[in-house]
Amino acid sequence: MPAILVLDDSATMVMSLSRVLKNAGYDVETAGNGKEGMTKLAAGLKPSVILTDLNMPQMDGIAFIKEARKNASTRFTPIIVLTTESSGQKRDEARVAGASAWLTKPTEPNDLLSTLKQLLPK
Amino acid sequence: MMHVSGEASENLVCVVLAAQVAELRRRVDDGATIELLWRTSDVLTQLSGLVQQFASRCQETDSELNEQCRAAVTAEADVRRLLESLAFEQAQRNDFTCQTVDCVVTALERLAGTDGSASNGLLLDDLAALYVSEEQRKVHDAAARRFAIGATSGSNGTDACCREGPGE
Repeated sequence: MPAILVLDDSATMVMSLSRVLKNAGYDVETAGNGKEGMTKLAAGLKPSVILTDLNMPQMDGIAFIKEARKNASTRFTPIIVLTTESSGQKRDEARVAGASAWLTKPTEPNDLLSTLKQLLPK
Repeated sequence: MMHVSGEASENLVCVVLAAQVAELRRRVDDGATIELLWRTSDVLTQLSGLVQQFASRCQETDSELNEQCRAAVTAEADVRRLLESLAFEQAQRNDFTCQTVDCVVTALERLAGTDGSASNGLLLDDLAALYVSEEQRKVHDAAARRFAIGATSGSNGTDACCREGPGE
């Protein structure tokens, strides 16, 4: 089963994302912010896809994406941004940092799952 | 009740409002309703499995009951999908509410001078820099526009609400 790393500082969002992904057959690892996510990656976690919020304490989503792209094991891992933010400027920042896709909250479970399927390595 | 005056009083009002709003955030973000929706979905899945087993056992002996069981399983799948969508959407709406509240708390703390930043006070642009969503910016722009219209109408004696067009 492909593993998805979910980063969000909202416990309710983490729970809901985990449920949707687990029900769809994915293994899920979670982190409450970018720093925690990097710690998990440094400990050897190799997710097939990373799903991250942007606005998080300690290390935000953009900083996390930049760090993840420096890490050899996640240099090419698809990263989906899932955020309330919808400004073009933030979207550009995320893309330049290395984000692969962007979803604006609120989104439907099916939209999330179809974006995931498109990005999962074949 | 303690009594303070002048600027200290305004700062205190900001601190108290920030605490009130932060308390509201804690209540919104407790996630109990969303968790209950997910648990309900789990129980429905379990019940559906049992009904399916029951349906296959009575397949030969009671075709009518078997048909009713199959219909119940189909209905359960529909309801469960809707529940899960609702839980997912509600979690995202909570997240948006919490982020908006966080912005208000930060702004109030900055106005009170208790946020630890070196800057004093808060300008409109400082406030805009705290936003994390387009919805917040839209509300900001609409409020600023209403205020500008109100200020203009105040100077010439016209009621602000009468000058605002439909859909503003």
